[in-house]
Amino acid sequence: MRDVLSDLIVAAARDDERFIMLSGDHGYALFDAIRAERPAQFINVGVAEQNMIGVAAGLAKVGFRPCVYGLSAFVPIRVLEQIKLDLCQSRLPVMLLGDGAGLVYSTLGVSHQCGEDIACLRPLPEIAVYSPCEAAELTACWHEARAADYPCYIRLGKADRPTVHAGPLPNTGPVFTHRSGGDAGGVVLVATGSMVSPCTEFARREGAACISVPRIKPFPDELPGMYRSAAKVIVVEEHAGTGGLWTSVVEQAARRRDPGATPPPMESVSLESAFTKTGGSWQHALREHGLADDQLAARLQRLISTSEHSGA
Amino acid sequence: MSSSRGRPGTLPSEFDPRVLRRHVLRMANRGQSFHVACAFSIIEICSVLYRRFLRYDPNDPAWPDRDYLILSKGHGVMALYACFYEIGWLGEADFENYFKDGTHLRGLCEADVPGCEVTSGSLGHGLPIACGIAFGLKRKGSDRRVYCIVGDGEMNEGPMWEALLFAAHQKLDNLVVIVDANQFQAMGRTEDVLGLEPLPAKFEAFGCRTIECDGHDPVALERAVSSFAAPCGRPGAIVARTLKGQGVSFMAGDNRWHYTKVSDEIYARALAELS
Repeated sequence: MRDVLSDLIVAAARDDERFIMLSGDHGYALFDAIRAERPAQFINVGVAEQNMIGVAAGLAKVGFRPCVYGLSAFVPIRVLEQIKLDLCQSRLPVMLLGDGAGLVYSTLGVSHQCGEDIACLRPLPEIAVYSPCEAAELTACWHEARAADYPCYIRLGKADRPTVHAGPLPNTGPVFTHRSGGDAGGVVLVATGSMVSPCTEFARREGAACISVPRIKPFPDELPGMYRSAAKVIVVEEHAGTGGLWTSVVEQAARRRDPGATPPPMESVSLESAFTKTGGSWQHALREHGLADDQLAARLQRLISTSEHSGA
Repeated sequence: MSSSRGRPGTLPSEFDPRVLRRHVLRMANRGQSFHVACAFSIIEICSVLYRRFLRYDPNDPAWPDRDYLILSKGHGVMALYACFYEIGWLGEADFENYFKDGTHLRGLCEADVPGCEVTSGSLGHGLPIACGIAFGLKRKGSDRRVYCIVGDGEMNEGPMWEALLFAAHQKLDNLVVIVDANQFQAMGRTEDVLGLEPLPAKFEAFGCRTIECDGHDPVALERAVSSFAAPCGRPGAIVARTLKGQGVSFMAGDNRWHYTKVSDEIYARALAELS
């Protein structure tokens, strides 16, 4: 996914003189290509994230199309007020890339981990929020954000999971990564970002369905129709259980007023409300939250069994 | 310099500081608003910029070729409103309805008010945005200029210093930062709350070509701003020595006028001094 992101950045810089990439002294090899090919369109503003958002706002005000890169622990968390006032209020076309979302920086500790970025941005007016799981989704999100005349945030989580899409996607709407009749009377997994890959693998193995949701805000209207006849919906995300995909799904379900369309039972599998206690691999960090691949599979298996029992 | 580049139309007003202060008092009285003293300390700065330096269209605050005045200390916004009234961007109803239900003029600088450019009621936002604008204009080869009025209390905010580092590093010599060094912030004397002096030396150390002057002396201010006309590869900074509440004897240097409302009696007494 990072190679694709680098290619997208270089292509944007090549195609559009107004495109300016800003980084708060992060990114390393991600920016090798743009620095080599279009050095004037890459600005390292230094370790000064608050100023970086203000500078992006000023650039957008005079006609540029800035793209701001940071770790999600800093963009958007450290600069949330700048995003709200400098970007959202004036609806400025600035793209924000929040890298390492979730527990990717498992060895570095809590300062670089972020399970609250979606929750912080969803309530803000005017901004769109994306959470792609792999290159195909990233590409669709990137192009939609590049064309937008308002701020957009793209959450970038663990980037090297097995791919789930066979080819390019036509848009950023929710998409089945696996369907085997599981959506009709069975269990439907609804996942985003890094959890799409293990959920898809589980769905294939266990005969469930899996939907990936790359665009979190505005939340896709078509999602309830995709799980309408499911016996159970399980929402899975590497994000806090409050304010992210789970909250989006249940809010949408609660607001629907279709006669006779009672939503199926729903379950949440997300990060615990706890900081990581120890360092180690990404899987180790996930394990503290019950989201390591084997734990996730076991939890999903239990939730499916519960569904079967209750349906019997 | 902007005056040699001209502006569309003729100068709409002399921006007389006494007239501008009367406008501020009227708004504060009609709206029962506060921050009178915070506006009074930047009256001469705004007057000199609008009369002598800023390039703008009296018929269009969003004129695409305008210079930028970014008010980073958003609580001084009534000084801007007073200038907008003189230009014609605001009218009688705007003043009379200040703080009434439905007014589009708020008590702090809001980006959606034509002419205001940024939302800066939360401090530490305006200067970074001004830096982005100045940086963008330089990249485009534009000769448009950016003036940014900041508060001395506002210099408590970390992003202000981040922005100065950026401005110097990017050689933003189309940017002039004007510090309203009025000696007070919301709850006390600036030097008692979080000492900032020597401010000129700090701006010099951060890479700005810095001038210190009397912020209530229009001639001194004009001279200071004019000295930044020629590009020198460094952002400009003016530490304008001002006094909070300047212009009305019983408000000058009295920090209560940061937050005290202007009653009819106070309004009459203050107006008498400015007539």
